[in-house]
Amino acid sequence: MQALHTAATGMAAQELNVQVISNNIANLRTTGYKKQTAAFQDLIYEHIRRVGAQASDQGTILPVGIDIGGGVKTVGTPRSMTQGTLSQTGNDLDLAIGGEGFFKILQPDGTYQYTRDGTFQMDNTGRVVTAQGNPVQPTITIPQNSSGLTVNAQGQVSVTLPGSTVSTIVGQIGLTRFINKAGLLPVGNNQFTETGSSGAPQDGLANADGYGNITQGSLEQANVDVVSEMSDLIAAQRAYEMNAKVVSAADQMMQSTSALFR
Amino acid sequence: MNRGLGEPWRFARCEAAWEGFSPADHLRGEPAVENALLIGLSRQTLLERQLDVVSNNVANVNTTGYKADSSLFEEFLKSGAHEDNFVGSDRQVSYVQDRATFRDFSQGAAEQTKNPLDVAIDGNGFLAVQTAAGERYTRDGGLQLNGQGQLVTTGGNAVLGASGPIVFQPTDHDINITPDGTITVLEGNGKTDSVRGKLRVVSFADAQKLLKEGANLYSAGEGGAAQPDAKSTVRQGFIEKSNVNAVAEMSRMIEVTRAYTQISTLLQQQSDLHKSAIQALADVPA
Repeated sequence: MQALHTAATGMAAQELNVQVISNNIANLRTTGYKKQTAAFQDLIYEHIRRVGAQASDQGTILPVGIDIGGGVKTVGTPRSMTQGTLSQTGNDLDLAIGGEGFFKILQPDGTYQYTRDGTFQMDNTGRVVTAQGNPVQPTITIPQNSSGLTVNAQGQVSVTLPGSTVSTIVGQIGLTRFINKAGLLPVGNNQFTETGSSGAPQDGLANADGYGNITQGSLEQANVDVVSEMSDLIAAQRAYEMNAKVVSAADQMMQSTSALFR
Repeated sequence: MNRGLGEPWRFARCEAAWEGFSPADHLRGEPAVENALLIGLSRQTLLERQLDVVSNNVANVNTTGYKADSSLFEEFLKSGAHEDNFVGSDRQVSYVQDRATFRDFSQGAAEQTKNPLDVAIDGNGFLAVQTAAGERYTRDGGLQLNGQGQLVTTGGNAVLGASGPIVFQPTDHDINITPDGTITVLEGNGKTDSVRGKLRVVSFADAQKLLKEGANLYSAGEGGAAQPDAKSTVRQGFIEKSNVNAVAEMSRMIEVTRAYTQISTLLQQQSDLHKSAIQALADVPA
């Protein structure tokens, strides 16, 4: 009985759906998190009577055929890269991007990762680093005893040096764009790496060419919409239950057959 | 008495004799008693297939752009090898046969995703997609970009514009898709829209003749050539949900199971009837 296997594919798909939704809800308060959705496709069909086949030697053709589908498969969990809302924190080194770009982070192994999470700190040498201690590119060192750290929309970092009354630019935070940012590979820690699907990274500067501007003292919230996640969760749970019901219906039918002619 | 009870024609003869036929008639009769079993079986086979259709609908209750299938049955009149086998027209036996799976092409609910590359088609149209096997059509508007900036489906097939695949430039942002399918972007620091293409929305004279290929794709099959569809509109930031009616599918499922169980009972009763008939007839009075 095909129905058993078909319903099983449905149950597996909804299980994954719940998994994706629960990850979104778990990351509701994760800075720079981008929500995912599970995308499904129907499986191949068995064309028992092919539509349009000749129905008689008079040349009449079948207006409709018999197609029995094999269920559902998950084709991907595409990430929705829409802008998250900004929340003010007042911290000098909390930066948020409004636009397409990503911060570029140098990893200890010399590779680069990209993030929308602008929760930066200073390390013991004055470098601007992520929560893991990896420097933001290009590396910016804040001089000791300086004050009045300001980051403008272009990403230019300026400070007031001791004994001076004017501010001095000490560096400019760069941003990186991808032609398909949804194709980036999530590696945890709110960071992504480039893939064949994302296209090559294109380094540039904020506030130009659509890279987006930088807002100091704010962080980008996750773009998860709780209400829609909750309703998706209910829908997924109900869909799972319905598939389970189909399994028990098929089971019941087989049972009534096997109980025959005892 | 030396009756071979395994030979069906002897059964027929007994039954016919009760109905008062002349010996000449009942000798030609079909083994009528088997018919109830065979008809029941023909129905059960189809109920199984109907459950297959229902289960595929239920499995795809969350599949973007999925269109529900339903089964159509027809009566299949089965006559014997020679028409003079029958005494009257009421001796014809009617089996059941599935004629078709009928596709419900009604509009699925539109869900707002706010994703700029999600499009829902309002109307009878399909998006044209380039696959390795040729041009295919889909209602699944959850679109993506690939590493080359080309507009593709979730399965990675290029979405066709009015003049071939649609490709974006690295500095493009703020993608906008108008109801007629025209895709515009802001390029770099530009403040005016640049057109990147127009989605090719097509429709068919008879969408029922489209062939479901899986992966949310349809091939034209015998459905005729794809015609440009100016009536359908495209809605950006929405996706079309599956149009499976969960409640209807569940009640159909219950209907199928009940019908199946009923026939099982019928077959059981029929079999019991045979058994007792054999015992009664074979019981030679002392």
